[in-house]
Parts: sequence; structure tokens; C-alpha cells
Amino acid sequence: MATDLRISNISKIYPGCIANDNVSLQFKSGKIYALLGENGAGKSTLVKILSGVISPDNGEVFLNEKNLKLSSPLDAKKNKIGMVFQHFNLFETLSVFENLSIDATEDNKSLRLRINEILKKYNFSIDLDVPVLNLSAGQKQKVEIIRCLLRSPKVLIMDEPTSVLTEQETEELFISLKKFCDEGILIIYITHKLKEVLSLCDEVAVMRKGKVVSVSETQNERVETLANKMVGQKLAKIKKKINISKNKDEIFKVKHLNFYSDDPFETNLVNLNFSVKKGECLGIAGISGNGQNELFQILSGEIITPDTSIIFRNKEIAKLNPKQRREYLMAFSPEDRISQAAVPELKIYENVALNNFKSSNFFEKGLVNEKKIKEHSKKILSDFSVNTDNVELKSQFLSGGNLQKLILGRELITAPELLICYNPTWGLDVGAINYIHETLIKINDQEKSTILISTDTEELLKLSDRIAVIYKGKLSKIMPSEEVTPEKLGVLMGGGSID
Amino acid sequence: MSLDISFIGILIGSIMASSVPLILAASGELITERSGVLNLGVEGMMIIGAISGFALMVLTDNLFIAIVGSMLSGVIISLIFGFLTQSLLTNHVATGLALTIFGIGLSAMLGKNFVGIPGKEFPILFSSLRESIPLFGPILFGHSIVLYFAFALPFLTNYFLKKTKLGLVVRAVGDSPVSASNQGINVILVRYCCILYGGAMCGLAGAYLSLIYTPQWIENMTAGRGWIALALVVFATWSPIKVLIGALIFGGITILQLHMQAIGFRIPVQFLSALPYLMTIIVLVVISRDSRKIKLNTPTSLGRIFYKEK
Repeated sequence: MATDLRISNISKIYPGCIANDNVSLQFKSGKIYALLGENGAGKSTLVKILSGVISPDNGEVFLNEKNLKLSSPLDAKKNKIGMVFQHFNLFETLSVFENLSIDATEDNKSLRLRINEILKKYNFSIDLDVPVLNLSAGQKQKVEIIRCLLRSPKVLIMDEPTSVLTEQETEELFISLKKFCDEGILIIYITHKLKEVLSLCDEVAVMRKGKVVSVSETQNERVETLANKMVGQKLAKIKKKINISKNKDEIFKVKHLNFYSDDPFETNLVNLNFSVKKGECLGIAGISGNGQNELFQILSGEIITPDTSIIFRNKEIAKLNPKQRREYLMAFSPEDRISQAAVPELKIYENVALNNFKSSNFFEKGLVNEKKIKEHSKKILSDFSVNTDNVELKSQFLSGGNLQKLILGRELITAPELLICYNPTWGLDVGAINYIHETLIKINDQEKSTILISTDTEELLKLSDRIAVIYKGKLSKIMPSEEVTPEKLGVLMGGGSID
Repeated sequence: MSLDISFIGILIGSIMASSVPLILAASGELITERSGVLNLGVEGMMIIGAISGFALMVLTDNLFIAIVGSMLSGVIISLIFGFLTQSLLTNHVATGLALTIFGIGLSAMLGKNFVGIPGKEFPILFSSLRESIPLFGPILFGHSIVLYFAFALPFLTNYFLKKTKLGLVVRAVGDSPVSASNQGINVILVRYCCILYGGAMCGLAGAYLSLIYTPQWIENMTAGRGWIALALVVFATWSPIKVLIGALIFGGITILQLHMQAIGFRIPVQFLSALPYLMTIIVLVVISRDSRKIKLNTPTSLGRIFYKEK
């Protein structure tokens, strides 16, 4: 039987943000639908409403013209709407079978029989009696899918399913989804990855700022057209004007940087020497795990290594801690936004205050000058177009892109002479990436320097004036970026040689 | 020789009796904690159970009403905890501590008029069989019904958690309340039930002290047993059977060191008094070393406040 799901005028308003603004969409079985949007566009809110986790302020959902009242997840289940969340809803300490049996109505024996049928039919291999915490992310997702399939769903909603999967697992997932689709299950696929939409889905609805801005067939779309719809403006092609003036001063110079560790999870660094000129961006490429973490920590002062010389603006700073280095006008943006760069449980202005530099006057006689910090935070929020003006908001409610903007803003508002960043656009959507790239280029235009440690070659080629590759703790020759091609970088990153 | 054997039988019988309140309270708290709720009010709920059981016995002269009443009083006082932590989302630790302080104070106030009143003899079962078998007679027979219940309880708890659907739901809620809620399980309701059950068992544990073990009311008569029960649950890594073992070790060493003190061993009394605590923890730590099992048994969400998205 064909399934027809219709969403009519759904609205959901949170304090300070309209998550869904009059959303209407229609889906029919036999097709895979993509719901595309940047982080914070309202996709997750919409699917939470469809699965009964939250209730909309307004609007209705119709399944085969029947008006559904979805006030709890049970209602969604009863109406055969299955949902696989981005963050798995599994019980880690329970076995796979226990996870599946918890909401089953039949006895364990026939349930096991049915699960085994599904495993066989879709070629899944999962041991039912091991605890879920022993499974890989891909297997956990399969458990979630089986849980939905057990209830013979009419609708299956997948919320950013590939964010935790490997390449191989993603392929397997796509094969299964196409199979489900052929069997008449209506599939709604939520993502912000454009390529997935084009390779998997038949129709795509794009959401932006809580509204549906376009519905179209994927065969009429390309990556660029979708990206533009998603961001809402024509994405400017960013290309940096390369700084080649050779006679500029060296502002930052590292000599004999060695690092040795007994920890098997850390990489030793062997005699790194490099320098950065005023207004220059030095890119450091490499596959992750080749010493970038250690390098970043040494440059920022989290790790102090003996016998290393780091000269910054003609002063020796190798023995200084991060706070002291900041006072010399260095700034840092670590890879992990949540656990290294910001404290998610703290409010925005508190996170800004964490980076207290001497001239800021955030603290007077040991007391917090809240007013000053808040003013300062407001300025960061507006200067760096973070999508809230509420400095009291807890940082954990910011999307990745907005959090990164806040962090960069916090670092840059001190007008540093050198910014060191490590994978600044990791996990962000196109709009945010573009914004951050523009910001980094602007820094160089203002004659300030940057060191960009990144695993993204495209980003490095776009932003760097000179590029070096780190491989197993050793740095390659530093090359002017106009001489570098993606192929060359690939060879060096794999440990090869290009001479 | 026959005298020695019967003495050992009686000794073991008394060890069993002294571990009953620990088994009851710890088994109840275990269910509560398995649902992700950390109730530090065990001591307070026990002492309330002790005074209300004793008071009801004096007032009604009916032991059945006294026992049921003590459990109900445990339910009522744990309902305060449940309402605060589950409905008003207060911090588990602070609320539990407050509950204990409240319970001790309230029981002292209620108990003022009951100090010095003699208790009533509690009926014991199979007393005729007690003398019939030399060693096992005093161990197996001649106990109150509460003791038999207490010794069955860890096994029942184990069966409940491992084999029944409801037990699975309790474990699931303790593992991840958010997932459980998204699966349509009423997390708050499950947690309320577990809290109230824990309260009932703690109330019963208290009543065992004031009605059966030492049938009288003395202020603060639980004397820290609630805290021991709490520690047992943690050191037994949330396994009911290990709670039973731990309670027996604790009870056993408590009784033994009393005998050793009486005989006059040349070991400092303070050390002997500390021995039960020390040995229980050592033994439980040793038998629960398997870190994988610990991880599987530990309720992941223990003590964390859960609220439903709206």
C-alpha cells in the first residue's frame, strides 16, 4: 500500500529562535527524500516533531490523510513512523537483543526468530547477545534500523546517519536504504552533506532558518545549486591573493623543535624548523595523527619542550605558558571546540571571559566585571555574525559553526599578531566554512600572520601562502603554495617524496 | 564436641539475623540506583521505618499492621525524595542527605514517648525443628518471616532485573533515560516506582531492627546501617547476589569481633570495631574486579537529573 505523509504548517518556537516556521511538505512512498539544511536550519526539530519527541506549537501531520496526534514517541511508533536519531537511542550496557526486546509485544522466542529473519534478509551480521557498547558505530546504527524494521514501518526517518560512519559503512547503509525504498517504505533522509543527497535521494527539500526554501528533484540539481540554496546566497568563490613579498620580517621562528613521548598514542616530533613572515599564512598539511596535535600543543604552550627555541616578535617564548604567550599577542584555536576551546556548560559571556588577557579589565581586584565582559561578548557576537545576540545563552546550544565563530571572535578581538588554528572548519557546513575562510584571509590582509594546521587539503591550498607537510612527526620542505598541487600534497602526506 | 557444633549453628544464625537490615535496605536501594536515581536517604528512611513500626505495634498491638505500616512510612518519606528529584529536578545527592537528616530528626521527635516501652515478641517459624538437626537446625529454622524474605530477596531481585520485562525497563532507564524516553518509556514513572520500592524496603529494614532484632525504640537505633547498605550497593557493583555476600561478611565480622572482644583478644578494640567495614570493602573489591562487568552493571545515568524535552 502506498504511503503518503503530509506535514502542514508546522511551527515550533524556542526562546530566542524560530526553529520551524510554517513548514509544509509532502512525501510519498517509493522515493527517498532528502531534507537538507545547515546546522541549525530546523531539520532536527522537524524530525523530532515527526517522531513525537517534542510537540509543535502549531500545525498538523497527516499520514494517508489521517490526522496524527503525535504527543509522545509511542504515538509515532503506533502510527508506524520509525526514526533513527543522529545520537543513537540505545542502551549501551544492555545486550543487542535486550535493546530490541524492550518495546516488543511478542515473546522472546518469536522475537528472536523475526530478528534473525531481518538479519538474513538484509545481510546484517550482528551478534545479538553482546552488549551494545562493544559494537562499532555502524553496527549500532544497524541495531537502530532493525528496531524500526521490527515494527514494519511505513515511514523511516534517518537523521544525519553518515556522520559517524566509515566510507564502507556508508555504502552499506545506502544499499539497505534503497532496498527499504523498493519495499515501499517511505524514507526521509536528513543531512547537510550535498554529495549524499545527489547520490542517494530522489527529491530534496532545502531548509534555511526554519523555513522550507525549495523542493526539487535531485536530477535537476548540482552540488553548487544546492549549496547556494542551503546558504541562501551565492557562495562567493574565495581565492586568496598570495603574499609573495620576500623581504618581510619573520615574526615567528621555531628552531630545533623536538618532542619525545612514551605514550603510544602520541607522535614524536623530530627537529622541526620553520618561520612565519608578517602577513603570511603558513599551512601545515598531513593526515591526522602525524603529530599535528603535539605540534599545536607545543606552539600554544600547553607542552613545554626543552632545547626548543621559539622566537616571537624578537623575544624567546619557548618557556612561556599559553596565557603568557597570549599576552605577547598570540592567539589559538584548537581542534576540539567542545572540550578544548570552550566550556559548553558555561554561558557565552563566561566563555569569553575565560580568555582573559591583561588589557581586558575583565577582572578588577579579583572581582568579575560582568558588565564589561557582556559588552565585549555582544561585540564579538555581532562582529562575527553568530546567530544569537543573547550572551546569557549556554554555549552548548550553539551549533558547531556558531561556536567556532565565537571562538575565533574571542581570539581575534585582541588583535593578535599571530593566530594558530588547527582544523578550524572541522565538521562545519558550507556557509560557516566560507565565513571562517573569509575571516582567516582578512587577518592576513591586515598584515597579521596565521599558522593553519589542517587535514583538509582544499582548505590549505585556498588559504596558505606557503605549505609544508607533516608526516610521522617530520616536516617536509616548505613550498610556496603556487608550486603545490593536490597531487603533490597527497604524495607527501602518504610519506612519499616529490624530488 | 556436639556443644561446639550447636554453638557454631547459633553463631551463624545470629550473623544471618544481623545482616537482615543490610540486605533489605541494600536490595531496595539497588533497584532505585539501577533506575539511575541515587538516594542517599537510606539511613533516614530506615529510622523512620523503625519508629513507625514500633509506634504502630505499641498503638495497635498488631505486628502485621506494624510491619505494613513501617513499609508505608518508608514509601511516604521516599515520595518526598521522589517528588523533589523527579518532579522538581533537585540534585539527588543534596536531597538524599537532607532526607537522612530529616528522618533522624523526625524519628527522634516521634519516638519521644516510646522510649523505654518494652517490645513484643515476634513470632518465629519452624521453632520445633530448630533442635532437631545439630548444625543446620539453628541456621535454617526458628527465624522470623522477615529474615526468610530478606534472604530470598537478592535472588528475586536478580531474577527481576535479569529475566523480567520490567527489570529490563528499569535497567534501560538507568542506562539512558533519554533513549528510554524516546522509546516511549515513561522514565519519571519508572523512577518514581523504583524510589518508592526502595523506600518500602528501607522502612522494612528499620522495622526489623525495632520489632525483631532488638524489640524496642532507641533514638538513632539504625546507627549508620543505612550508610553501610549504600556502600554495599556500590562495592557490590550493583549485583544483588554480591550485596548478599557483602551483608553476610559485614554481619559476620561484626558478630565475630564482638566475641573476640569478649574473649579478650589482645588486639585494640578500635581495630576490631573497624574490622567489619574494612573486610567488607576489601572482599567486595576483590570479588568485583572484572572491569567489564562493572561497566555493564553500573547504571550509567546514576545521580543525573533527567528532564523531558517539550
